[in-house]
Amino acid sequence: MSGVSTKASQSDGTGFIPEKLCPRFCMNVPSLFHFTFLLREVRTPSWRPWILRKQQFSLPRVPLLQAARKKNSLNLLGLTEAELEEQFVRGDGPGGQATNKTNNCVVLKHIPSGIVVKCHQTRSVEKNRKIAREILQEKVDLFYKGEDSDIFKEKKASEKKKQEKKRRAKENLERKKHFKEMQQLDKK
Amino acid sequence: MWKPGTDFTTMRCLTHLLLRRLLGLSPQCMPGGLSQSKGPILSPKQSSLRQSCNARPGLVTATDVVNYWQKVFETNGIPEARESSEYIVSFVLGAKTFQSLNSKSLRTPLTAVQQEQIQQLSNKRLERMPVQYVLGEWDFQDLTLKMRPPVFIPRPETEDLVSLVVEEESRKCEKNSSLCFPGPVPHPVILEIGCGSGAIALSLLCKMPQSRVIAVDKEKAAVDLTAENAHRLQLQERIHILHHDVSYSSAKQLLLWGPIDFIVSNPPYVFHEDMASLDAEILRYEDLDALDGGDDGMRVIKTILALAPSLLKDSGSVFLEVDPRHPDMVDKWLQAHPNLLLILHAIHKDFCGKPRFLHIQKQSR
Repeated sequence: MSGVSTKASQSDGTGFIPEKLCPRFCMNVPSLFHFTFLLREVRTPSWRPWILRKQQFSLPRVPLLQAARKKNSLNLLGLTEAELEEQFVRGDGPGGQATNKTNNCVVLKHIPSGIVVKCHQTRSVEKNRKIAREILQEKVDLFYKGEDSDIFKEKKASEKKKQEKKRRAKENLERKKHFKEMQQLDKK
Repeated sequence: MWKPGTDFTTMRCLTHLLLRRLLGLSPQCMPGGLSQSKGPILSPKQSSLRQSCNARPGLVTATDVVNYWQKVFETNGIPEARESSEYIVSFVLGAKTFQSLNSKSLRTPLTAVQQEQIQQLSNKRLERMPVQYVLGEWDFQDLTLKMRPPVFIPRPETEDLVSLVVEEESRKCEKNSSLCFPGPVPHPVILEIGCGSGAIALSLLCKMPQSRVIAVDKEKAAVDLTAENAHRLQLQERIHILHHDVSYSSAKQLLLWGPIDFIVSNPPYVFHEDMASLDAEILRYEDLDALDGGDDGMRVIKTILALAPSLLKDSGSVFLEVDPRHPDMVDKWLQAHPNLLLILHAIHKDFCGKPRFLHIQKQSR
């Protein structure tokens, strides 16, 4: 899928920070963070740092995965926010109104497997976060399940379809060619 | 379609024109008439970059052009040189981001027209114009909105402000249905104070199909831009946009659809003393009134909160985007004004982990 690059950091375990990202990254505080991945519910951890009197700090929810075309029927491993590390190229600084940075790239890492996904497909941070999670979920599923993964099976199926189509098209072409040749012979 | 032969000559000429400009010679047909003294600084070595880009002279791909303008921007101290270059080139190629372009587009030579368009846009960026104004558009959640100086450009943090309102509404709906409240589908009425380009208002209308929005701004330019964006998105039937200054005008006009469920705002909240250190992109092009919140950044926040009780339904909410220093300050201020019957219900962080959004509730008597 264009717009996203992946790096599995099995070799060194720290192959996370891409080229020019600033070292500071923002940990997700998963307190009230709900993110439902397809068929699996995300467990929300019970710990909540930074409780200010009665108020609760909470992170904005990344919008629930919309039922995207084919994804409905796929059974993929669920990811919890606690397993993820997210990074944005925002630099230090106040943020909000005081800055007008256009870099909306999201870098998302699945800590247990070390898989990293970089998404700069859209001009909206929120959408990039969502897409990054979708892609990461697919990669993680593939990583752990290999050939048993629905992603793998789907890819195989579509490849097969493509080849079948090609074969049929080739056959048709040859049939037409043969027909034309026969016509030429008849004329003589 | 790029046709070898004709366009080749055109491209050659273009490069020549560009060369003259880059070497600091008087630009002949540059828009905006940049004077020699203000022109971009480039060494002669820089100017040959375009020609040395690839094996076949005169043929430039998207990647070549991005690299080229990135260098130009860097040399001229333009922040986000790579990003700016990518957005401009992508835009001319009809895409939103560089990484969303397929490999074929990246290898296809650019036409002379496309190169000229990129140059025109890049010239604006060289003047520190924000990319969003250069392109004349930007995205906010699922919407593409027209952008025009000096109307305030929506920041990415604000996308989460919209999500908070949507969630609160669905939580209220669930609560009502579980309590078996009868009645028709609710039509939440939302008031946005300081609508700017209409990002928040129009996003809310899209995400909450039953909602109605009253959007106000004290600047006519903002009112016009919001109206334009509303029309482009065919949302004009569900939004009332008023040229109205909440600091000075009577709030009665804001009750045209009755008491309000949500007041939402991204009010100017920059501390006045911080204004001078903002980037040139902001200081030169955006409406500073949309940013300057006075000495403690709270001037407009206080105005909104003072106004809220007379506008909100019981247990209605105010959602504000603020500076990370404000949550405590707002809490104290509300406690010092108990007559308002407003309580700070929750503080939410932005995607960078900074306290950014306040959820204030009106207490029922």
